[in-house]
Amino acid sequence: MEKGKLYSIPGTVISTQHGHLLVSSGIDSLDTVLGGGLPVGTVALIEEDFRGLYSKVLLKYFLAEGLTAKHSIFIASQDVNPANIVSELPAVIESDPEPENPSKGHEINDKMKIAFRYQNISSAMQSSHIKHIGHHFDLSRTMSFSDLENSDIYYWTGQRIETGTNSFLNPAYNDLLKSVKDKIKEGKFFLKDNPESKTILRIGIHSLGSPMWLPCRKSIHSMDSSSQDLNMFIFCLRALVRSANAVAVITVPSYLYGEESLERCIHSSDISMRLQSFTGTELENNQSLQDYHGFFYLTKLAAINSLASKHPGSVEYVFKLRRKKFVIDMLHLPPDIGDDKENKKKESVPMLGCGGSNKHLLEF
Amino acid sequence: MASLSDPRISNPVLSSLKIQSNDRIIFIRENALADSNFIITHLLKQFFYEKSRVCFLTLHNTLDHYQNVGKKLGYDLKEAIECNNIKIVDPLADIVEGIGKEIEESFEESQMLKCLFLSIKKHIDNYCSLKDCPVYLVIDDVSHFLDLAIDLSQIISFINYCINLTNNDNISVVINAHVGSKNDEIVAKSVQHICDVFVEISQLKTGKSTDITGLMTIQRGDSINNYHYRTFDRGVKTFHPGETIYNLYK
Repeated sequence: MEKGKLYSIPGTVISTQHGHLLVSSGIDSLDTVLGGGLPVGTVALIEEDFRGLYSKVLLKYFLAEGLTAKHSIFIASQDVNPANIVSELPAVIESDPEPENPSKGHEINDKMKIAFRYQNISSAMQSSHIKHIGHHFDLSRTMSFSDLENSDIYYWTGQRIETGTNSFLNPAYNDLLKSVKDKIKEGKFFLKDNPESKTILRIGIHSLGSPMWLPCRKSIHSMDSSSQDLNMFIFCLRALVRSANAVAVITVPSYLYGEESLERCIHSSDISMRLQSFTGTELENNQSLQDYHGFFYLTKLAAINSLASKHPGSVEYVFKLRRKKFVIDMLHLPPDIGDDKENKKKESVPMLGCGGSNKHLLEF
Repeated sequence: MASLSDPRISNPVLSSLKIQSNDRIIFIRENALADSNFIITHLLKQFFYEKSRVCFLTLHNTLDHYQNVGKKLGYDLKEAIECNNIKIVDPLADIVEGIGKEIEESFEESQMLKCLFLSIKKHIDNYCSLKDCPVYLVIDDVSHFLDLAIDLSQIISFINYCINLTNNDNISVVINAHVGSKNDEIVAKSVQHICDVFVEISQLKTGKSTDITGLMTIQRGDSINNYHYRTFDRGVKTFHPGETIYNLYK
């Protein structure tokens, strides 16, 4: 790759370490976790949370960032109308809507003594050395219609599927691949093409492999055999995206599949992450996790163009969806102070019966 | 007498692997979420040092990736291609080409493997006729054929054909396979059964560590060697289990 030429693409930055061309995922904290952003020419797989709420937010950020940076967009879904996803994209704003560290408290923090073994561990994720390449978005407002009008957006709904012989069980996968390829060809995104102004194609696929993607009724298939289609699709998409100035983000409802059936998909994708929301689980009422909405697992971060992956190692991440902003954060358990008060409260609850209300622990 | 510049002595990965010219079938098994790619990139370094010729079937990573990693390890892949020391067979381009076409003209499963093997065979025959030097066939991730919905029996017979190439004393085969699902396991076990050197790359059982990237097991006949390895930006270090701490903070 000639680096000089690539510099001109808006909304991208070249990683000094590996020579990757990076684009932002739209979420500042996610870019930091991924080591700067999503490398162009890769496929990122997001395993959806149980209701698919938060994974959709990630996808929206990814697309909104693309629109703001004047990238072309390809959006596909069979579950919802992709036009709806686009109409709900967050609006771009000037600065961070809800900044993490208010500057006032800094001086006090510096003086505070902490145990020496924690001294070198930063409390927030180190983002200072990585320049933020994306924009800031406000989730409470939607992108204005005029912004959408001038952008290059392709919607794929799975409505007009030609039934031809192909190697997929479900022709929808084939059709989607074909549409992506046509789009890449038409927009001259192939690496071998040399258009006057280069840009990036962002491919967002929502809920790939959901029940809407099951093969047609003629054949008897279970979700298991449809994961064959999914494997093949992701492998072919990867081959396609590698040969173009494109980056793909796919969300997959992984809980519908068996434990091992997504292994191959993860192997074929370059980045794989999983969202596990607390909603509906016993973690929902856990006191120490009450600030967060779920766990964020970075299952795979492939080493592309290098020997070492930028995987942060054994760090646990959590995410929270604030009113205006989606944040991924390192998991910190709060100090064990709050619980004491609550225990006392429970004890002081007046009880009926002969013991009286404030019974001392030593009394029988 | 080997010189110090021999990567088999100076490079930690290659010195742990100890691949000799009489190791005909080398199999690399990559367990879920581990990354065994560094073995192949290191082996390429050794092959180029030995002035061997390589036929390289890339299914998982692109040429760009190997070029970038190669530069870090001290060899230039593109130059080697120009010097006709390595031939890259890249089916990914054909797959991209075949997307959207009817099955008759695009990649039909059995045809694809047949064509692939014939082109590999052509390159290798070509190398063999040139000069009496060792020729390596490197397959990066044979398990990707499973993704293409190719029948298991056909994949096995493809591997069989490749392995039969080693009947010629100059030819050796390096096969890499990822193991995640049941079918992967079948492919991996069958290659493991006939290989001379078996290399297994897995993650640490206990999770992730910042000091160790993973576990490397090298099996040659009855002898089994376990190593820990850690990947850096410009190289990979190997350790015997337990001695990591002395090496990292030297």
